[in-house]
Amino acid sequence: MLLRGLLLATLPTLVLLSALWAAGPIPDWRQFPNDASAVGKRTSRKEQAPGKFREYPAWEYNDFPIPADSNVPGEWVFARFMYRAVPVWSGYRLINWTIDYPRSDRHLSAAVRRLTRIQARSVEEPVAAEDGDDIYNWPWLYGVEVGHWDLTDLEAAKLRDFLERGGFFMCDDFHGTVEWETFEAGMKKVFPNRPIVDLPNNDPIFHTVYDLDDRYQVPGEQFVYTRRTYEKDGYQARWRGIYDDKGRVMVAICHNMDLGDSWEHADNPEYPEQYSALGFRIGIDYLVYAMTH
Amino acid sequence: MFEFLFKYPAGVFSKGTFVLLGGWPRWILLMAIVAAAGVLGWIIWRKRGRLAPSLRGARLALLWGLQSALVGLLLLLLWEPAISVTALRPQQNIIAIVVDDSRSMALNDVGQTREQMAASLLNDGLIRNLSSKFQVRLYRLGAGVDRIQDTNQLKADQASTQIGRGLRQLADEAATLPIGGVVLLTDGADNSGGIDLDTLAELRRRRLPVNAIGIGREQLANDVELDGLDVPAKALAGSRLQAQVALRQNGFEGKRARLLLTADGSILASRDIVLNNSPEQIETVEFSAGKSGVKNVRARLEPLPGETNTQNNEMSQALSVDDAKRRILYVEGEPRWEYKFLRRAVEDDPALQVVSMLRTTQNKIYRQGIANPNELADGFPSKPEDLFNYQGIILGSVESAYFTTTQQQMIKDFVDRRGGGLLFLGGRWALADGGYNVPPFKELLPVTLPNKKNTFQRVFVAAELTDAGKKSLICRIEDDPEKSTQHWDVLPYLANYQDPGTPKPGAVVLARVDAGGNRLPLLVTENYGRGRTAVFATGGSWRWRMQQPVGDTSQETFWRQLLRYVVSATPTRVVATTPNARLEDDGHIQLRAEVRDTNYLPASDADVQASVIDPDGVAETVALRPEPLAQGIYSADWSAQKAGSYIAEVTAKRGTQKLGADVLTFRRENGVAENFHREQNRELLQKLAEETGGRYYKPTEVGRVPQEISYSEAGITAHETKDLWDMPVVFLAILILKGTEWLLRRKWGVV
Repeated sequence: MLLRGLLLATLPTLVLLSALWAAGPIPDWRQFPNDASAVGKRTSRKEQAPGKFREYPAWEYNDFPIPADSNVPGEWVFARFMYRAVPVWSGYRLINWTIDYPRSDRHLSAAVRRLTRIQARSVEEPVAAEDGDDIYNWPWLYGVEVGHWDLTDLEAAKLRDFLERGGFFMCDDFHGTVEWETFEAGMKKVFPNRPIVDLPNNDPIFHTVYDLDDRYQVPGEQFVYTRRTYEKDGYQARWRGIYDDKGRVMVAICHNMDLGDSWEHADNPEYPEQYSALGFRIGIDYLVYAMTH
Repeated sequence: MFEFLFKYPAGVFSKGTFVLLGGWPRWILLMAIVAAAGVLGWIIWRKRGRLAPSLRGARLALLWGLQSALVGLLLLLLWEPAISVTALRPQQNIIAIVVDDSRSMALNDVGQTREQMAASLLNDGLIRNLSSKFQVRLYRLGAGVDRIQDTNQLKADQASTQIGRGLRQLADEAATLPIGGVVLLTDGADNSGGIDLDTLAELRRRRLPVNAIGIGREQLANDVELDGLDVPAKALAGSRLQAQVALRQNGFEGKRARLLLTADGSILASRDIVLNNSPEQIETVEFSAGKSGVKNVRARLEPLPGETNTQNNEMSQALSVDDAKRRILYVEGEPRWEYKFLRRAVEDDPALQVVSMLRTTQNKIYRQGIANPNELADGFPSKPEDLFNYQGIILGSVESAYFTTTQQQMIKDFVDRRGGGLLFLGGRWALADGGYNVPPFKELLPVTLPNKKNTFQRVFVAAELTDAGKKSLICRIEDDPEKSTQHWDVLPYLANYQDPGTPKPGAVVLARVDAGGNRLPLLVTENYGRGRTAVFATGGSWRWRMQQPVGDTSQETFWRQLLRYVVSATPTRVVATTPNARLEDDGHIQLRAEVRDTNYLPASDADVQASVIDPDGVAETVALRPEPLAQGIYSADWSAQKAGSYIAEVTAKRGTQKLGADVLTFRRENGVAENFHREQNRELLQKLAEETGGRYYKPTEVGRVPQEISYSEAGITAHETKDLWDMPVVFLAILILKGTEWLLRRKWGVV
């Protein structure tokens, strides 16, 4: 009786695990050191050196073709924040940071090359807080699905220090109330006392290259199937941010929209062009703002 | 002895002209000497076989030489040698005796006071001996000369010694009086910085010899003296500045002393120094200019135990600090991190305003720091007057071809004529890669660019200071110079570098990079025309901010100092200056102004006035007049009557158009001049005597003055011809020549 009961309980679990595995998400087996005591200290030139480019296995793409000019350095590099995600169960965490990666990153890099005078590297740079002082080599940092992050003390301290030194963090692709609360909890860990505010239309961040007074919600790829521009209860797009002491945006928060998908699917004929167009413009405005303020 | 041997004083020979009074031509004398020597040689040659064996070769030649010299001398005497010299006519000329009557003459360092010694020399024979040949006028010297009747009127109480001005007065008097010479009794402790060239020229023109009698010891025991204080007259608020303090000591070599720099009661900086034995020890003290305003910067060396004179231990100078923002036009050809972090570094600097135009896309320019929406709306200025409103220009990663030919010429004029600063940054469109190897950029650059492309490399490199960089305030990222150098050693790598080529002669390399063992210049500066140019051959110093802790200000400090260097010396359209901003006991000051129009061309038709506010706040207007031979230069002489700080606002107008204004500060100190340079300045007196045809005498040689002073070309003179044949030295020479021959013959056994 007991044995039968155990089998009945175990079999569905095994089936579920197999399904998850087969669906593609790769469990993140990275170690997440959590000692933040050394963050912000002076380090050696060796510790400050950037790592070599590598492409990680991702949620959606594996073995994505690497461009021939990937080894040509650039002034700007799409740096993707490799944060720790919330545990799904029993310590098992997904790799939400890899959503849209690397296709989205490379499409934005190509757009930046084509539309601006910025010398952009063709490939992105995944950046982890535990990799020494590597994060400070990439002053523009992007975080996706931050409604699922679960920042370690080290990650929060490193991100705060990165921003206070002059770095810029753009986050995107999280929807609705629940994911906002998860994001906000993480952001409070980074900046306990800095308010998150709506960015007004007249903020320079919307006027560096394109004047973006008239913005609309940019949906993710799900729009192709659902024709809905929103996900969950995130009906209205929110352009929010955190200002530094001198009134400069240092964290640009794109809530209830999926700019990452708009970049990723810019070459997808089923995905409406108008969303990619706005997505690129927002990305370029934010990037030029980050490089000028 | 000289006079015994040569019959006349040395002055006769130095001032006279050698002549031969004999009627026969000089060439006959020459021929006769040659012929006599030849005949003697021929006789000796013929008799050589019959001479003693000991008289051969060199010995025979020596005897021939002695005999020939004797014959030559006798022949010369036949031609009646003489010296022709100009001499003062007795009783028809005036000799001006000038006695230093300043406070330094009250110093008792020669067994009595210097003034007493001077009076003794005069009263114990000098006046009497001079009076037997000339009329004598007695003057006392202070800030000028005043005539006195006798030495009892000497008090050693004049506040300053200005030898040049006093002599100038005498030279002017010589235009109407037959002054034949000047006898100057002084310690040479001049407070005006020496004798000016105009005065020397005037003395030479009038052929008025100054015979200086030096009084006082040439070195004072146990004394340290500040010899000079050099502080910039103007500075930007908050700038780091250097004060050069010159000092000298006697009797304190190796001792430690504390040097303080204060301003209006607060200490700016202090340093412990070790006194050395160099003629002039230069100490550099760094300090912050602080907030805007006029400051009296005072350098003070704390008195040492046993120091004889502590009143020469401090000096002060006025410093005008202003907080008017200097505007720098930054042209950047592509968005990049260096742009962002450069702007951030200086955004809180009260003295700097970076106005930038950034090419974000092929056709768009993003402007920041503009004063109004129209500024740079059409891109880089196309009119000189618009460009010349800035004090500095930064050219980032932007191709030279981005600028039209006219704009390129304007950039050159901006530096050369307007006097602005130009900074070139490294980047993929900068320097050689940006096509800057063409005129006029080629001339402006402090480096000769390499004749190749791909000089910009995105490779991490370490920056290192050169020796010049270690001393430069641009690179001083910590208050303490040693800590600053140590900090440079651990600065994060630059994100990239560019090969800027080789520094031009005259350029200063402050920092280098180690590019794979190849050391390339990183920061190079040079003066060009009225302005200055610099190259910072990287676009990767942003890592100094991102890779260092939040509280580290080295990147910010470096950029502020570099940009302050670029603009701090940029002149306004009106530049007011004075040759001497520190007046010691003498209020005379020359106010000068260089005036330029809106295109910074010299304006010679301006109305230039100075409003001088004295220490009591009372204003006086002084008109400056154009100098005839210098375009756009105006000047006026003025006198500061009271002790304290003065502010002069110089304004220039052309009709109703105001061309510009500038503020000049200076300071008068009373009762200090004679505390400095109290030892006898023999060098100055010797130079003065040499330059004017006089002589320097020690007090013990004063008896020679009355006779030697006669040979002067000033005053009423007559030419005298003095025979030389009967000089004792001639007979002595004959005796020596014959005596030597006889002694040699004795020695060689042929007598």
